[in-house]
Amino acid sequence: MRLFYLVKKEILEIVRQRELLVLLFLAPIIQIIVLGYVITTDIKNVPVEVVNLSNSRAAGEITARLQASPLFRIVKLSEKPEKAEDVLRRGEVRAVIEFRDSPGRGRWAWTLPEVHILMDGIDANSSQIAAGYVNGIIKDYLQEKLRRAGLEMPAEAKTLIRYNPRLRSINTMGPGIVALLLTILSVFTTAFSFVREREQHTMDTLLMSRLRPMEIFVGKAMPAVLIGLLDMVLGIGVVILWFHIPLRGSVFYLFLASLLYLAAILSYALIISTVVVNQSQAMFFSWFSLVLFLLLSGFLTPLESIWARAPALAVLTEINPLRYLIKIIREIFLKGNGPAFFWRDLLALGGIAVVLTSLSLLNFRRFISK
Amino acid sequence: MRRLRAVMAKEFFHLLRDPRSLSVVFIMPLVQIFIFGYAISFDLENIPVAVIDQDHSEPSARLIRDFERSTVFVLKPLGGARREGDFEAADWALRAGRVKQVLVIPAGFAGRIRQGRTAEVGLIIDGSDSNVANRLYQYDQMIIQRFAAGLKGLEDVFQVKTKVYFNPESRSVFFFVPGLVAIILLMISAMLTASSIARERELGSAELLFISPLRSGEIILGKTLPYVLVALATGSFILFFSHFWFGVPLRGSLLVLLLFALLFVLTGLSFGVLISTLAPSQRVAMLGSVLATLLPSILLSGFIFPLDSLSAPLRALSEIIPATHFLRIIRGVAVKGADLRHFLKEGASLAGLSLITLSLAVMRFTRLRRARR
Repeated sequence: MRLFYLVKKEILEIVRQRELLVLLFLAPIIQIIVLGYVITTDIKNVPVEVVNLSNSRAAGEITARLQASPLFRIVKLSEKPEKAEDVLRRGEVRAVIEFRDSPGRGRWAWTLPEVHILMDGIDANSSQIAAGYVNGIIKDYLQEKLRRAGLEMPAEAKTLIRYNPRLRSINTMGPGIVALLLTILSVFTTAFSFVREREQHTMDTLLMSRLRPMEIFVGKAMPAVLIGLLDMVLGIGVVILWFHIPLRGSVFYLFLASLLYLAAILSYALIISTVVVNQSQAMFFSWFSLVLFLLLSGFLTPLESIWARAPALAVLTEINPLRYLIKIIREIFLKGNGPAFFWRDLLALGGIAVVLTSLSLLNFRRFISK
Repeated sequence: MRRLRAVMAKEFFHLLRDPRSLSVVFIMPLVQIFIFGYAISFDLENIPVAVIDQDHSEPSARLIRDFERSTVFVLKPLGGARREGDFEAADWALRAGRVKQVLVIPAGFAGRIRQGRTAEVGLIIDGSDSNVANRLYQYDQMIIQRFAAGLKGLEDVFQVKTKVYFNPESRSVFFFVPGLVAIILLMISAMLTASSIARERELGSAELLFISPLRSGEIILGKTLPYVLVALATGSFILFFSHFWFGVPLRGSLLVLLLFALLFVLTGLSFGVLISTLAPSQRVAMLGSVLATLLPSILLSGFIFPLDSLSAPLRALSEIIPATHFLRIIRGVAVKGADLRHFLKEGASLAGLSLITLSLAVMRFTRLRRARR
């Protein structure tokens, strides 16, 4: 009952600030919608320059195919040699595709030019994908030629892409954004809690009240859990209704995982709130941890290669709760998996939650005994 | 001018009196650059692949070896029964995320090759991470195409020569670390000022500011400019670190880069001040600055995702995000050795953005003041 009043006070403090309400409930929806359109790893409209130094018919035909493809935007067609490095430095194109005549390319030399792809290596990921597309277009062209000459390709890949057959990025990213916003909102509503009371000298009042320490702790975390769950519902709603991302698995496990995650992340935020001395420090620490959670979660970049590069840091990804939440959310949404597939991740998440909550409680005991 | 100096001096003292917060501003970005420089990368390595070989022939073994030899894939043995059971085990591993791809070589593979007919290779890719799936698809195509061309002695016909400029080894570090410098710089500067006026409002000392003879513009500028130094110092600090530690090249002029960094930092600080005048409490200021700067500058600036594929309205939106411009600049100057004249447009956009946000902040502050009178 006493606990109820504390929770009510905390919620009132949030509701009283209209700006905060907007940030907590409206901003996330807008962000999901905008970011949903933005986060596309689909590579389209890659600006390229084509330099044709060849007399062959094939060069012209391949150029026509590049032009017709939505993957490329040919910014400039030229027939004079140019220094690719200068062109790329200007930054208007991502790659220069050059056709040259080459002597001595065996029996096909009379039809085929030499193809050079000169790419800007800075965004290595996009450049590699783009180069792959050029390769694909040329390969298809050559295969047709060969077939007409009566030569079959001896081997060919038949590829099946599961769970997201059209490779829509939003399917991958959408559910992840919800997890991300859940993190941001709950960290920032709790990381300030104790430090604000201390800065405004109301902490003593709270401690002098009849509330037991445990009740204060829970009372501070509870509103954030409620907000988090509410935002989760809103976010998932947007993701399903607006972006038509299929929710193939069980909603129950989705929320179970989210609750475990909230317990972990809120305990963490409460630790921040007791170790910092003022609100701007709370802000820096929360921001620092957020970026850490986000970029080491596998949300944006694959995690597999970390082990090869920096094993010591790979451990950090293993104790990152967001990593598990994102994996579980993706599995439930896209693969329709049940716990038989992700029980390990669920267990890891639960373990992290238990450890962080106990640490946070211990730390809180120490904090109030001061 | 003298009054402006007084406000700046006060803000400076405020900064110096809290050395703990100040050191946090320097140490955290450093730790972040260090961790992310190692951890974030698009490089595909060690991607687990399951193989179902139903042919057990010499060509099938050769194809499997081709996959094995690439640094991208690691073959992962499937537990469980052989033959029929294989597919079930593979499906399970794919769903559980234990493998990202299954390579299937059907029975009769070698036979079809011998007869001169097209032998098919099956590939099942986990599409739940679309970017990874897309790249895996490309690698597969490449390996199989090379394999097929090798069978007919046509390798050189299919050969496309690729040359990569500025970053010949295609290292992700060259892409991500300069980007991180930009993101961290923006966040630091937005946060340095985001709580400034909100804090004064929360503590009640804003009333004193409101009734002082200072003009609103002087207060806003006075609260912004001192932090330019702090943010710029942090910026150069992490820039040098990424140069000496991660070997990110500095091919262009350092002076040009710092000049643009100054503009960029000013834009970030102005954003922070604007948020600060809008927020009634530090909590709101914080959450606001994070929502307004963190996700957009990571996701809408070209930091990770190329902007080419965006639709026109979204590309327009990305232009009002300061990080978009500075990312182009820092990557261009540092890695490509570009020059001041390549980035006049970006520089003008940054200057314009900070001018607009600063004036908005002044307007808003004046309104707050008037409401109090």
